[in-house]
Amino acid sequence: MIETEARDGAGGVHAAGALHVEAEPVGRSGLLARLGIPFNVALVLPAQLTIMVVVVVPTLIVLWLAVTDWQPTQDLAWWQAQFIWFWNFNDLWYDQRFINALIRTVFVVGVCIGVELSLALALALLFVEEWWWKRLAVSVIILPMMVVPVDAANAFFMLFNDRGPINHMITVLIGRPFTFSWLSDPTWAMLPIMLCEIWQWTPLMFLMVLTGMMALPQNQVRAAVALGASPVRIFRRIVLPLLMPVIGIAVLIRSIETFKIFDPVYILTRGQPGGATETISMYMYNGAFVYFRMGYIAAAALIVLVLVLSICIALSKPLKRHT
Amino acid sequence: MKRLFNGIGPSRRDVLKAGATGLAGFAMSPLLGRGAHAEQWALKNIHETAAAKAKELAGSRNVSLKIMQPSGSLGNVKPVGDLWTKATGIPVHYLEVPLGEINQKVLLEAVSKSGSFDLALPATFGIPDLAESGILVNLDKYAQKYEPTDYQKDVLYTIGDYYKGSLYGYQTDGDTYLMFYNKDWLDNADEQKGFSDKHGYALKVPDTWEQLDAMMEWFHRPDKGMYGGALFRTQYFIAWEWWGRFHAKGFYPLADDLTPQINNDAGIAALEELIAASKFLYPGARTNGLFENFEAFGKGDKFADIGWGGTQKFLNSDKSKIKGRLAFGDMPGGMVNGELLRTPYFNWGWNYVVSSVSPDPEIAYLFSLFACSPVMSTIAVRDPGGYFDPIRGIHYKDPQIQKTYTEEFLVAHKHSMINSIPDFYLKGQGEYFDELRVNIAAADAGTKTAKAALDDCAASWERITRRMGKRSQSVQWHFLKANYPAGIRDRLK
Repeated sequence: MIETEARDGAGGVHAAGALHVEAEPVGRSGLLARLGIPFNVALVLPAQLTIMVVVVVPTLIVLWLAVTDWQPTQDLAWWQAQFIWFWNFNDLWYDQRFINALIRTVFVVGVCIGVELSLALALALLFVEEWWWKRLAVSVIILPMMVVPVDAANAFFMLFNDRGPINHMITVLIGRPFTFSWLSDPTWAMLPIMLCEIWQWTPLMFLMVLTGMMALPQNQVRAAVALGASPVRIFRRIVLPLLMPVIGIAVLIRSIETFKIFDPVYILTRGQPGGATETISMYMYNGAFVYFRMGYIAAAALIVLVLVLSICIALSKPLKRHT
Repeated sequence: MKRLFNGIGPSRRDVLKAGATGLAGFAMSPLLGRGAHAEQWALKNIHETAAAKAKELAGSRNVSLKIMQPSGSLGNVKPVGDLWTKATGIPVHYLEVPLGEINQKVLLEAVSKSGSFDLALPATFGIPDLAESGILVNLDKYAQKYEPTDYQKDVLYTIGDYYKGSLYGYQTDGDTYLMFYNKDWLDNADEQKGFSDKHGYALKVPDTWEQLDAMMEWFHRPDKGMYGGALFRTQYFIAWEWWGRFHAKGFYPLADDLTPQINNDAGIAALEELIAASKFLYPGARTNGLFENFEAFGKGDKFADIGWGGTQKFLNSDKSKIKGRLAFGDMPGGMVNGELLRTPYFNWGWNYVVSSVSPDPEIAYLFSLFACSPVMSTIAVRDPGGYFDPIRGIHYKDPQIQKTYTEEFLVAHKHSMINSIPDFYLKGQGEYFDELRVNIAAADAGTKTAKAALDDCAASWERITRRMGKRSQSVQWHFLKANYPAGIRDRLK
């Protein structure tokens, strides 16, 4: 009986529901049986192997490199690198540039995400109702997101150049020549970089928030209106709490992305002046691809990974409450 | 073949005379005894013999050479490459990469070993890293075989060609750091009187950094469109000026045991003086790069500038409003134990090197011998659009080169070349200097004090040295120290 079922259906379903393959003299099932691989395992094996190759193996390599001083220019293969225990982590602990770059990146994430979220909420409230030209306006608003990041950064480089339009506009406004080197002033050089990031990625935040807002259940809002609640109160007490899961996800995604900010920094300042705009990606780029310090940067990457994971866990806690 | 080069070669007498003047810059002990098997290869026609030998080596094979070179140097390299092809039948292909990235690209070849070039022209300061990476051919064996004994006697700066005593390349560009001054302002009688009344010494080409700073302050009148200077304050360039100011106070950057000395009192004072001088620079000093700097000083509204032979090529062109109205000098010095100490500084330059992945390293070496020969290097330096500067004594006598640079400039350039201190040719030079640049720029921008910046830099240097291997770095540092010009070496601590 079992043999017949297996032949007919290339496998039989037992009463318990588990999928089993019976021994077959010929064909694919027969091959699996000969190799001793159950059919259910065979189904997930390709995906598992792919994950192994693209995630687990590189992670293991990074873990190994982090405890070596490997530089590809040493004329040694990475597996031959000298094991140096935790010296890279020790050096990173005392590396003021690395620590400053980390703090600076967290600051950039905080400011950019705060501004992007505020703007996205304001725009979403404006666009939640139907009005003429709404579709066209949405298309225009999301345009920056479609610009190649390097081009966007280049546009901001031109805008904030010593002789660029920003200085020219200020000159016109105040009525006397205004020359300020935005990109070489340690206090202000970060501003064009953050403005570029905000300009380009607020649309994404806006789209996510708008989608969430349009999907909110209307009954509670209608009830609040009927009871005479003010729009501000409705927003604070009903819309915002209901929107929190969407905001949480939007903030999480954008925080992870902003933590990796590179293009505007590279194009506008390359981390100058005096490292005043050096973010963690810029720091790691220099270490890995200018000085080829792969071991050291692997250790830095692990620290950054732990940090980003911690932030993600912290940000996802409120989400768990909602779900 | 001789016919190809007729009329452009120096006479034997010229070569020997120039060689004698260049002897002062020839302090390379590893060179002694080299070329013993190549004595029959005379310096005068080395380009011909090198080409003939390359042709013989190539035989009937389909050989070609690929050169990776910094952007903008095609005008210097191609005329020589064309003559090589005519003489040997070996075509040359040129691969231009951004000027600031060439060392990185050559290092990448050490990883990929793709054979994308046979020869390269990296910046001289990167030779130690490239040599350690294994991508450069140690040229000792070829030099032993082919290089005439007097090949480098006429070359005014050869320290950068060597790493730990072995030859890795041939210098092809005399990039010593020089000062440029507005001669009209220096010669103005009213200015001279006013300045000497205030400071008690004459307004002339300054001997010391202190005098230069005082003169820049004197001429800095932004309300009248006059600026003290166009010295660099962008991060990439700023450390070189500090390096000059620091050495002029009588110190090496490292002690014998490789402890950084950069954060001693002299280093801090040098940085504080540099920061103070920033007040007397034109507004674009913190943002402008190399070519913007040429243009800025070329306007004629600034007193002092710092640069290389390439700067003079621009300033002496029709694009410059200050053409013919310039005075020149070595980098200023300092008073050490009551005596003036000048420390001219060779801080850039390009070297012909041979890739270890090249299928024909011997032919590639012969090309570099050909390109850096007296005759061919003269052709390369002549190009007014390129940026290779005189490197051999013979170049200073060439009428076309004299026209391009002016005789007055060449006198200052030659003096500076002969007495130049070497750059920091250690493994990890890029990392050492990156730390120095970032910290000096931070101090100049006001985000750190001079002391904090140099202390941070010294701490980073200690870590870099430990990582690079103290024993290995010590070997090269002592080699380097021994090759500082004698008159300077004796006075540095």
